[in-house]
Amino acid sequence: MIKNGFTQVHSWYGVHYRFIIRMKLTLIMIAFAFLSVATANVYSQQKVSLDVQRTKLSRVLKLIEESSDYYFVYSSTNKNLNKEISLNVSNERVVDVLPKLFRKTGLEYSISEEGLVIVSEQQDMHVKGTVVDRDQNLLAGATVRIKGSGIAKATDLNAQFELDVPAGTILVVSYTGYLSQELIIQKSGTLTVTLLPDDQMLNEVVVTALGVPRERRTLGYSVTQINGETLTQARENNVANALVGKVAGLDVTSTAGGVGSATSVVIRGASSLSQTNQPLYVINGVPMENTPIGFGNLNPNGNSGSQWDNAPDLGDAIGNLNPDDIENISVLKGAAASALYGSRAKAGVILITTKSGKGTGVDFSSNYVVEQVMDRTDWQYVYGQGVNGQKPADGPAAAQVGGSSWGAKLDGSNVPQFDGFSRPYVAQKDNIKNFYRSGHTWTNSLALNKSFEGGALRFSFSDLSNKSIMPNSGLDRQSFSLVGTFEPVKRLSIDTRTNYIIEKAKNRPMLSDGAGSANYNAVFLPTSLDIRDLKPWKTAEGNEIPYNTGNAWDTNPWYAAYEIQNNTDRNRLISSLSARYTFDNGLFLQGRAGQDYYNNSYTAIFPEGLAYSAPNNMVVQQTRFSDINADMLIGKSFSAGDEISFTPNIGASYRNTKSEMTINQGTDFLVPGVHTITGLANKAVGYVKTAQETQSAYGTLEFAYRDVLYLTGSARTDWFSTLATPGMENKLHVVYPSISGSFVFTEFVNSPALSFGKFRAGYAVVGQATNPYQTALTYRLLSQSLNGKPLGEITNTSIPNSQLKASKASELEIGTDLHFFGGRLNLDVTWYKKQSDDEITSVTTSNTVGYDGAILNSGSIQNKGVEALVSGVLIKREHFNWTSSLNMTFNENKVLSLADGVPEQLIATSRSGVGFLKNIPGKALGQIMAYDYKYDDNGDIVLLDDGSPDRGELRSYGSAYNKWFAGWNNEFTYNNFNLGFLIDGKFGGKLFSATDYYGYIKGLHQATLERREELGNTASKFYENTANNTSYRFVNDASFIKFRQLTLGYSFPAHLFDNKIKGLNLSFVARNLFILMRRTDNIDPESSYNATFPGLELGGMPPARTFGLNLNVKF
Amino acid sequence: MKRNIWKVYHVSLLMVVLALAGCTKNFVEINTDPVNYGPTNFDPNFTFSTAQLTYTGSTDFAYETWRANLIYAGTMMQGMSTVVSYWAGDKYLLTPWYTSAYWERAYAEQVKPIVDIVEMTRGKDQYKNLHNAARIWKALIFARLTDLYGDVPYFEAGQGYYQKKLSARYDKQEEIYTDLLKEIEESIANLDEGADQITGDIVYSSDIAKWKRFGHSLMLRLAMRLTKVNEATAKAYVEKTIGKTLNSNAENALVKHEVSGARITQNRNSQVLLGDGGQEHYYVKWSDTFINALKATNDPRIRVAVTKLYLSPDETDANTNYVTDPASQKGMPNGKDLNNNPLYAINSDPSYTGFPDYSSPHPGMIKRDGVTFILTYAESELLLAEAAERWGIGGNAASHYANALKAGITFLAQYDEALSISESAAATYATANPLTGGIKQISEQYWIHQNTALNFYETWSNWRRTGYPELTAVNYPGNATGGQIPRRFPYPTAEEAGSNAVYYKQASEAVPGGDNLSGRVWWDKQ
Repeated sequence: MIKNGFTQVHSWYGVHYRFIIRMKLTLIMIAFAFLSVATANVYSQQKVSLDVQRTKLSRVLKLIEESSDYYFVYSSTNKNLNKEISLNVSNERVVDVLPKLFRKTGLEYSISEEGLVIVSEQQDMHVKGTVVDRDQNLLAGATVRIKGSGIAKATDLNAQFELDVPAGTILVVSYTGYLSQELIIQKSGTLTVTLLPDDQMLNEVVVTALGVPRERRTLGYSVTQINGETLTQARENNVANALVGKVAGLDVTSTAGGVGSATSVVIRGASSLSQTNQPLYVINGVPMENTPIGFGNLNPNGNSGSQWDNAPDLGDAIGNLNPDDIENISVLKGAAASALYGSRAKAGVILITTKSGKGTGVDFSSNYVVEQVMDRTDWQYVYGQGVNGQKPADGPAAAQVGGSSWGAKLDGSNVPQFDGFSRPYVAQKDNIKNFYRSGHTWTNSLALNKSFEGGALRFSFSDLSNKSIMPNSGLDRQSFSLVGTFEPVKRLSIDTRTNYIIEKAKNRPMLSDGAGSANYNAVFLPTSLDIRDLKPWKTAEGNEIPYNTGNAWDTNPWYAAYEIQNNTDRNRLISSLSARYTFDNGLFLQGRAGQDYYNNSYTAIFPEGLAYSAPNNMVVQQTRFSDINADMLIGKSFSAGDEISFTPNIGASYRNTKSEMTINQGTDFLVPGVHTITGLANKAVGYVKTAQETQSAYGTLEFAYRDVLYLTGSARTDWFSTLATPGMENKLHVVYPSISGSFVFTEFVNSPALSFGKFRAGYAVVGQATNPYQTALTYRLLSQSLNGKPLGEITNTSIPNSQLKASKASELEIGTDLHFFGGRLNLDVTWYKKQSDDEITSVTTSNTVGYDGAILNSGSIQNKGVEALVSGVLIKREHFNWTSSLNMTFNENKVLSLADGVPEQLIATSRSGVGFLKNIPGKALGQIMAYDYKYDDNGDIVLLDDGSPDRGELRSYGSAYNKWFAGWNNEFTYNNFNLGFLIDGKFGGKLFSATDYYGYIKGLHQATLERREELGNTASKFYENTANNTSYRFVNDASFIKFRQLTLGYSFPAHLFDNKIKGLNLSFVARNLFILMRRTDNIDPESSYNATFPGLELGGMPPARTFGLNLNVKF
Repeated sequence: MKRNIWKVYHVSLLMVVLALAGCTKNFVEINTDPVNYGPTNFDPNFTFSTAQLTYTGSTDFAYETWRANLIYAGTMMQGMSTVVSYWAGDKYLLTPWYTSAYWERAYAEQVKPIVDIVEMTRGKDQYKNLHNAARIWKALIFARLTDLYGDVPYFEAGQGYYQKKLSARYDKQEEIYTDLLKEIEESIANLDEGADQITGDIVYSSDIAKWKRFGHSLMLRLAMRLTKVNEATAKAYVEKTIGKTLNSNAENALVKHEVSGARITQNRNSQVLLGDGGQEHYYVKWSDTFINALKATNDPRIRVAVTKLYLSPDETDANTNYVTDPASQKGMPNGKDLNNNPLYAINSDPSYTGFPDYSSPHPGMIKRDGVTFILTYAESELLLAEAAERWGIGGNAASHYANALKAGITFLAQYDEALSISESAAATYATANPLTGGIKQISEQYWIHQNTALNFYETWSNWRRTGYPELTAVNYPGNATGGQIPRRFPYPTAEEAGSNAVYYKQASEAVPGGDNLSGRVWWDKQ
């Protein structure tokens, strides 16, 4: 029964008023006479039967009056009563019939307890409201929805909304990062809605494709949103690392690349055979290119994951962002969520919204953490440096076999070492700790907010200063951000954002191979060599003092750290401008343009004193990159009555990406010690220029039936320049459709336990484009010439493909969101199945065909999985809360097919040469391949003459990709204290350890202790054969559980500071504290030397634990 | 109003579609590499220069020259000797990533460009001579590949682009040789003095007459390779070359290197032997087998050896007061190391008086802008001498031998003036050392000559074919051959992991003697 307290009775009712009172009295008497019901509300049980077709409402009311004791009071001049209606009810309570009767008549009614029904014209209340947060900051763009319908409105820049709604309407006000609030409108007027932060991470409103915030209940797919605050407490220099363990379906792995290195983020399993599996990052609606430098983008100085790289990890784009500027991160996991990004969405999309001006005030934060190296090695310390079981005879002999731990038993005697000095022959177990130093990162951020009539401004500055645990290495980053939001004329909103980043990375460490790599040489130093004795690392003339003259590529680690230089300076400007105009009738028109522009300067110096001969003594590389994205969108919401609404949008976008790179390099400094590019005796120049364009058109149609059923369909078409081939009429475009729906079934189920429940399903096709210039054969001239003759070569390393088409992936996902006990316990489960087809793959070919690979366009992969998030408030007391969430993911992937003629696809080769990463049809992606024992017909192991095993078959030992992921987040609050921790784990993946391999070769591995005495001077050859012929032993189980994060904080109340400070929070923070479980002997289970694929490692940075203090102050 | 909105929709949609449809026209232009060339505007002569250069070794730090020519062939053939621990060939140790080096670089840097040139110029009159010179060069390239490994991809090799091959069948060495000889014969016949200038030719500067002589000498080398397995074919092809082979040292096929291009253009052997990559300058020496052979006949070519060239392992600047006195020259024994076991320790060897006292290659031979010999007049004459000795064809064996001796002495001047030996001294030596020992003597001379040409690939092949010189094998702990001199490089195991897995397996299992250092190639019949 609808109760109304605010219905205003217009003066013309007065005419009938006295009559009504009389009637009421009569009715009461009748009621007492005929019904022996003791309650006052006897009429409510009266039932009627009606069957009317196209009958005037006034006539129907009469019929009811005739068959019941209800009386209707209305103005006879009300035209709405002349509306014709049809109704068929049998024996229903009048109170239930009335809503059906008055629906869509423009009339409202009220029933008195005595059965008197007053019918009046429906009157809309005029409500004007402001949405703010707890600190009275204005929330522009909050959604105000009429409950029971799909009709919604957003607050303007002043956080205001105006609505005309019938009395009794319930409004649902929501904003991303805050708990939704419902309020009942009883009267016109002005109100202020205060939203509370969403501490339970219910994420009732999330940012969806094209940056549109939507209520989660409307979505037919899974979206996880992370609030910016969670990224800045216990920080990571690369913000993507902070996502680890926090989102179901996400596999986040930082490489062992040291300072400024890239992070691998794989959503719902790797979906590409050999192209990037990294998601698209979209910053405030503007896509940002994030392919790791060196992978498929022609940068010769980046890390491509090849065994021969011997290059530093030059980082990725996401790592440049300042976490303090991030308002929230929204992870669009499935194709249905990301379909509107078409060809860029195959690996998922991560939407980043940066902070905009909110209120007026100053935020300051300071974070200082120290970093400590964690030694993961567990080498043998029984035998020392030397060969053939003997101690070195003299200095030069020791130096010649300087990298070998095949010496005699450590006996404490004085033994000559590489530098000719004799030192005690004892175990040196702390070389890792003695080489790496204690690092630190200090981050200071200041943000100024100013809100004013018609807009808001936010300016922020952040400075990050990092001293790496690697000696002489570090990272400095300054970020400036200016965000302005304006409403210059009514209903025109303008949003402009500029983010300027200056990043200087000093001496990113070389990875993988030994040449110039401090990591490699520190980890493989012989057992009896103290790394501190490798100082001084150079002679007075500046020449390296090598510890292993037998292999000049084993660089003295100190020399590698202090003399070899590689510095990166990057200036990046990410800017966007968007304008949106909403017409009177609700039609909106939105235009947006953004550019991601950077200048990257890379300088590397390999000094003349280096023992090994570097390919170049100096490299100076300048890269200019520009990615312009522009789009427009036009749309309007329509409603059919108050129950159905639909919103069509259409749009188009344009992308233009250009890059230009100049490389100057050469050998032999003419004046030793003066390292300038013009001072090289032999110079070479390289120049690379690329351009590509994508044009897209798209449309969406959202349909809502009340607030119960939501359907969204979309289609996008992309036209690619990268598929164009001279002389070919290739199809240049692809259509990507999607459909998804959400059904809120709790609107029909009345369960005290289940407070909210929805069922959702989505299906979409998304894709992946390709790099430019893969369709034609090209030639180039080297900078060098021979006796005046130019030297030409084929540019392509892969066989070009003149008939490329874009690859596609289709994905079905089904899931449910359930909230129990008013949101105390929440469950979000999704099942998905994704299939990628027409894969554009670079297949590794035997180079006997002239090329290392071929660009092919076939092959399929399937990813199936389940992801679940259980979260809840386990304890909720007045002073004490415990919020806990557990996310779990299971992903199973399978290569369904490869291109014809490619039975197996080689992805990468371990530097050891005896471990491989392959794609094999029928098996999961990224199989680790290694050699098994050779067995004879009797099943016995075949041995070589020296008793070492012969080489058997190359077998697969499982996928490099983990199958199970879990993250357990906990947050405790007690009065002003808060304590949080995160434990995460990954399970089921394999990792080929080249560190273990070299442990065998160099005599460091514990397993080489066995039979060493017995084998005598053939022990090293025996174990070398064992390592080379039975490399399966280096396949590690990469499963682990890590205690990832700990925070303990205290919020000082404002009154302590006379309210001059609004808030002050001081926390102890720590990351990567312990490993709770691992199955690797000498390496970190998360080791990898590139962000492109997992599974292979060598010479990476050892992991570090960080801990320190975080201070947040609001003025 | 609603109608208006729909109108706006439709008009915008139409605009978007039209705009996009119109814009894709320049996509071909956008997707054309603005920096590089396409097949239609590129001169294949530029790649021919590269293919000629890379036959002398990889642009990537003499990669396979170091591993195959020096570390393995040079020491196994006891031309060179070393104590450097990773010089596996000196001790017949198996280091798979060294034995695979030649294959990896040859297909990538030699086969790739040469096949492209042959295919790109096929049937094009403006490239007639380039096409045929490239076919001869292609035969040169594949001959060395198959000599080192046996059955190798040949017919499908390098055809990734033109035939869309993702894998390449391993062809029988017998079939490869048959085709190589046919290719050379046809190409020589098609070379045409009146046709195009081979502007990219860095060996003969487009001298077609020299190309024809070079072609015939190559045909001679390849034909003689078959003496153990198909003497008839060998003889038949040798007969085709009589009177048409290289005439003098002036016609030697060689590549002159240049300093300014660093690793790309500098002499490959010198990059290694000057100590660019380690302490090779100090620890790699002439083998005592070789030096003793020169000394035995007072060979004036002892001039290739000098002592006290480097005085310390850490100092790569050469001592300018090196010792050239022939009497002071001393080769280092093979199979020695720097360790303690007196059986193998170099300092336990009676010859040891310190490393500077062992003979190094003359600095004039290992200049960064020095020459790499591809095929010489002396070699050609030695093969003709052998043919005459075997079959009595092509003139007098003794005079061919004498020509070879003289040319093999005087050609050293092409390295450097400092190595020049007068014609008369050469003639005196030739007269004093006439051919008396038949094929054995010719083959020993072939070994000496190719050692001085630093072409150990060729030394090794000829030793395998003729069995001369008779070398005493070393027996070092952990060697992979049971103390026998290796006869072949095993196939690269990377082939098993890659797209050639099936072909590799078949070929690997078919190697007589096994796919290891002791297995044999087809023409090296036991």
